[in-house]
Amino acid sequence: GKNEYDLLVIGGGSGGLACAKEAAQFGRKVAVLDYVEPSPQGTKWGLGGTCVNVGCIPKKLMHQAALLGSALKDAQHYGWNIAQPVHHTWSVMAQAVQNYVKSLNWGHRVQLQDKKVKYFNMKGSFSGLHTVRGLTKAGKETIVTAENIVIATGGRPKYPTHIAGALEYGITSDDLFWLKESPGKTLTPFVFNVSLECAGFLTGIGLDTTVMMRSIPLRGFDQVSVDYQQMASLVTEHMESYGTKFLKGCSPTKVEKLESNRLQVTWKNTDLGTEETDSFDTVMWAVGRTPDSKTLNLDAVGVKTNSETGKIIVDASEATSVPHIYAIGDITEGRPELTPTAIAAGKLLAQRLFGKSSELMDYDNVPTTVFTPLEYGCVGLSEEAAAQLYGSDNIEVYHAYYKPLEFTVAERDATQCYMKMVCLREREQRILGLHFIGPNAGEVIQGFALGIKCGATYPQLMKTVGIHPTCAEEITKLHITKRSGLDATVTGC
Amino acid sequence: MGWEEKQVHGYSEFVRTAQSYHGRPIFALFCGDKDAEGRSWCPDCVTAEPVVRKELHNMPDGSVFIYCLVGDRAYWKDPNNEFRKNLKLTGVPTLLKYGTPQKLVEEECFKAELVRMLFTED
Repeated sequence: GKNEYDLLVIGGGSGGLACAKEAAQFGRKVAVLDYVEPSPQGTKWGLGGTCVNVGCIPKKLMHQAALLGSALKDAQHYGWNIAQPVHHTWSVMAQAVQNYVKSLNWGHRVQLQDKKVKYFNMKGSFSGLHTVRGLTKAGKETIVTAENIVIATGGRPKYPTHIAGALEYGITSDDLFWLKESPGKTLTPFVFNVSLECAGFLTGIGLDTTVMMRSIPLRGFDQVSVDYQQMASLVTEHMESYGTKFLKGCSPTKVEKLESNRLQVTWKNTDLGTEETDSFDTVMWAVGRTPDSKTLNLDAVGVKTNSETGKIIVDASEATSVPHIYAIGDITEGRPELTPTAIAAGKLLAQRLFGKSSELMDYDNVPTTVFTPLEYGCVGLSEEAAAQLYGSDNIEVYHAYYKPLEFTVAERDATQCYMKMVCLREREQRILGLHFIGPNAGEVIQGFALGIKCGATYPQLMKTVGIHPTCAEEITKLHITKRSGLDATVTGC
Repeated sequence: MGWEEKQVHGYSEFVRTAQSYHGRPIFALFCGDKDAEGRSWCPDCVTAEPVVRKELHNMPDGSVFIYCLVGDRAYWKDPNNEFRKNLKLTGVPTLLKYGTPQKLVEEECFKAELVRMLFTED
């Protein structure tokens, strides 16, 4: 018989909702399945996916809460009479953030209803090439058939299950943003952008926070754009100078619960060869994310996944190994784990399926930002990736240490405020990558992403007049090369 | 148990009434005042009211439906009126589930499916 829907989207996150809403614009019959499996600690949330509920949105708001704390400290220097020390109440922030997230859940429900997209709060799995079985929390089953199916189920945080007590006593970012009470003294073992961002704002709101790391930070976030060697170290150096504790070369071995309900963590210090221990209120694991693909029953329909990562393999048109089944967002192999790319890919896919478009998603030069206390924004290639691709003799790296004007009166340390630009050495000297550490890094980098997309060159950048006084203007003045070995500190006007 | 309706006029009466029903699901429809002929100065409210009333039976058992007349047009247009300041209302009609971010504003209230969704969603 005929399939009930033109398009079925499994997963109501950034990618899934964008794809569904776009398809509905073409007058197609669309359905969305969204289901949140509660975290091991029991946390669950509404429609909207990771970004809205346990990712970008609550993270940026809590990052802002921490920044405001720093601003209050700076304010004295600017003449404000604010009694120090200033205290932060977790529950006030958490409630405000959680309420905002809930309004977004509602907004998505209204939008879907308005665009006539059928919504099922059910967990989906394939029972046929065009058939998906949806299961409600109560166990009620619904069968949905569709001509085209898009898998956009995203991922969830991993637990290091080989560490005793990790699953029973630890939490992840899934839980952190929904805590009603302060996490207190927190340990976040292993380091990915998530744990640095979370440790950053936890420190910023006054909590005793420790980051435990084995090797270099930020690994796995984005292999091509993120500059792990230099930029990541500057970011963690800054966090350290602002009070986040770092236990380097350490690896947790077990987590136990104490009578006081606190957690006793034991770890191995691989540098010293010793075993150490300390107690914490919260242990938040940030050891990477795992794709939400295991319960989809992909084997039954022949959708191929990467055996190592579990992610779905797709081609340039987001098609899986099965022609009418597509995948977008965090669930896909080799794609950045970012909201804007999932949204763009979802919209373009809908336009190719139901519009007359043939435009594919361009995953090159995607700008991104890590919202640590001192933010790191980047677009294009890292120095390492550029050297690998073109050879270090064929690239020129311009760099500068600068001091934001706002830091001067506030007597703030700007040691890690740094930027670097990687260009091709020959002919037009095209800009390959731009890296910026400083306040509002995301805002700074966004505009330059357009330049890179248009193939901007070093000479063009030098002809671009800066806006004064800003941090971003220093980018237009970059002229000291790493090759020269000269001092890269920017002097005054 | 079904549901019950309470009609109130103005902000203080609304808050008193909502507080007295603390613990039960409370839905509220805010409309502009009606004249002697029973007609509201707010044309959108005139359109929305029958749509909302038709869906009231979808509210969960034990619900309270507060029908609140906010005031005259001049009061409503004042950007500092208590409904705008304290309840963060941006327009009339507004249909909301009290104590949650779930609400429908203006033309959204004309759509029966959206009203039904507000009454039945978790």
